[in-house]
Amino acid sequence: MKAWLCAIDHKRVGILYILSALLFFLAGGMEAMVMRAQLAAPNLKLITPEIYNQMFTMHGTTMIFLVAMPVLTGFGVYLVPLMIGANEMALPRLGALSFWLQLFGGVLLYISFASGSAPAAGWFSYAPLSEKAFSTGAGVDYWALALLLITGGVVGSAINLIVTVLTERAPGMTMRLVPLFVWSTFITSVMILFALPALAAALVMLLSDRLLHARFFDPAQGGSPLLWQHYFWIFGHPEVYIVVLPAFGMISEIIPVFSRKPVFGYPFMATSTVAIAFLSYGVWAHHMFAVALGRNFLAVFAAASMLIAVPTGMKIFSWIATMWGGAIRFSTAMMFAVAFLLEFTIGGLSGVAFAAVPVDWQLTDTYFVVAHIHYVLFGGTVFALLAATHYWFPKMSGRLMDDKLGRSSFWLIVLGFNAAVFVQHFLGLMGMTRRVYTYPNLPWFGPLNLISTVGAAILVFGIFIFLCNVGMSLLFGAPAGDDPWNAWTLEWAAASPPLQENFAEIPEVRSRRPLWDRKHPEAPDWMSV
Amino acid sequence: MTQKRAQLGMALFLIPEAVFFFLLILAFSYFAAIPYLSSRNGWLLTVLPLASSLSMWRGWRWMTIALGAVFLIGLLGTSSSPLTAIYGLHILAGLIALAIVPASALRALALYWYFFTAVWLAIFLIVYSGGAA
Repeated sequence: MKAWLCAIDHKRVGILYILSALLFFLAGGMEAMVMRAQLAAPNLKLITPEIYNQMFTMHGTTMIFLVAMPVLTGFGVYLVPLMIGANEMALPRLGALSFWLQLFGGVLLYISFASGSAPAAGWFSYAPLSEKAFSTGAGVDYWALALLLITGGVVGSAINLIVTVLTERAPGMTMRLVPLFVWSTFITSVMILFALPALAAALVMLLSDRLLHARFFDPAQGGSPLLWQHYFWIFGHPEVYIVVLPAFGMISEIIPVFSRKPVFGYPFMATSTVAIAFLSYGVWAHHMFAVALGRNFLAVFAAASMLIAVPTGMKIFSWIATMWGGAIRFSTAMMFAVAFLLEFTIGGLSGVAFAAVPVDWQLTDTYFVVAHIHYVLFGGTVFALLAATHYWFPKMSGRLMDDKLGRSSFWLIVLGFNAAVFVQHFLGLMGMTRRVYTYPNLPWFGPLNLISTVGAAILVFGIFIFLCNVGMSLLFGAPAGDDPWNAWTLEWAAASPPLQENFAEIPEVRSRRPLWDRKHPEAPDWMSV
Repeated sequence: MTQKRAQLGMALFLIPEAVFFFLLILAFSYFAAIPYLSSRNGWLLTVLPLASSLSMWRGWRWMTIALGAVFLIGLLGTSSSPLTAIYGLHILAGLIALAIVPASALRALALYWYFFTAVWLAIFLIVYSGGAA
């Protein structure tokens, strides 16, 4: 126990991140199920509107700040040193500090329930709703303070990852040779340094308004609610890529190994990651199309938003081209990776639709938006995480996950997720608004919502089977060996689980697939390049 | 090598700090939300972080702390706004760090100290002086 509480080893800190994210994932999932139960039929009154507002606020905040970011950081902290042939993160104690800041931020957020008023102003807490006059309880204060702590933790881990990638790479491993997961984690960390402070600045001003009687966002006293929207989305849109780029990196590791081909277009994959990072700072106002910003302003942001589909599309095609003509092995990890391609593409397409301003005006604040973000964040990030868990679990635990249970959980999750969320596209097009606790008995509203609720229940069951698989495999799984997938990156050269010191001797790297070179001394990659 | 890493880490840490203060200063200037600070007091106050940075550069740790502490007290005495409060917190954190870190970490900390001297100049010149005009 003490070994875990005082851990500074990157493998332990990484697993702590992943476990804390899992805990909050269950909490956020329960909040979602409370909402789906309330929405199962028209005019239901299972919970009050106040509770419903708290549920969607806490669900969104939890899933973004306490699940998506920490779990991706956890995989990054665990895998990056292993993948670049290092024995430790560059700044191990900063790593531990970052984790505990993040965790205590989460705990503080959930203490708000005990205070009697959880935050209820939505995960983006628009002013003036979030101001003292309209959110009188302490909920928004808890929310802002918790997010400030989490911001500190996120920035700390980002700095740590950047310094690690810059200073700890094995001899010979230039930035042109690092695995794509390392590339995407590196770029994500740089994005964090530029995006998170915008949130911190907005939060400081919100707290000043609420606690010190400042008036940044109060129009009655010369403030501007729009300022909150700008600052929040200057953080908020890069944030979307912060929680999806590492997932792209995971897919770029998994698909080649199970297609038995090196990744297609490595330079394009790395460059498109950089391009997405740059563009993501020029698109924030597409969250604000419904605000009267002026025609030219709208045109610029609409164009930039459509442009970002280009590098993202390059990635999708690179993954397809990697699979093309490969000897594909459909392990559970690969099935989740392929499902990721399909689900994420649906979310990407609805995203491009939004970038057109008139379409956005029609659909903003409807369930179409809810469907879009869930296809991107669940169909994208969570599916990639499920693939990553099946792929790297043997490395972390030394045991294989059960393939049969894996397949059952896969089909349940795919079926449940699509049933729950796909119908929300139609509800949004029919005009069902989000963030309202119930709805009238209009044609189709009842049946479609019922399908969504049943789908959500199936999804929960699928996640339950997945968790059973994790638990059972930890106890009874077959020993994995160091390299169960016959893979090519350096983490598979370490023991499973890796020893305290990852590598007895630091390997020399001459190509993008150092383990291939070691296994095939007659035809190493660096000879053919 | 450890010192190199610490310096690189500190340099990276100053990126989000720069963005953070840039956005706060922008908001304060936009609303002209200027707390009162007379020009004479402002200039007197500004001498202190400059002198403190000079002493940091010379490697006089305790002189740096003394000048920094006087600056912090003066800052809280002459003006109070969310901007100076959050800035003062950074100075306080720097003073505590200066008092306790081993000598090997001073190079990294010096970066922090110079940076926040520059931030004060920005706050003073843009927010206070701009507001007076």
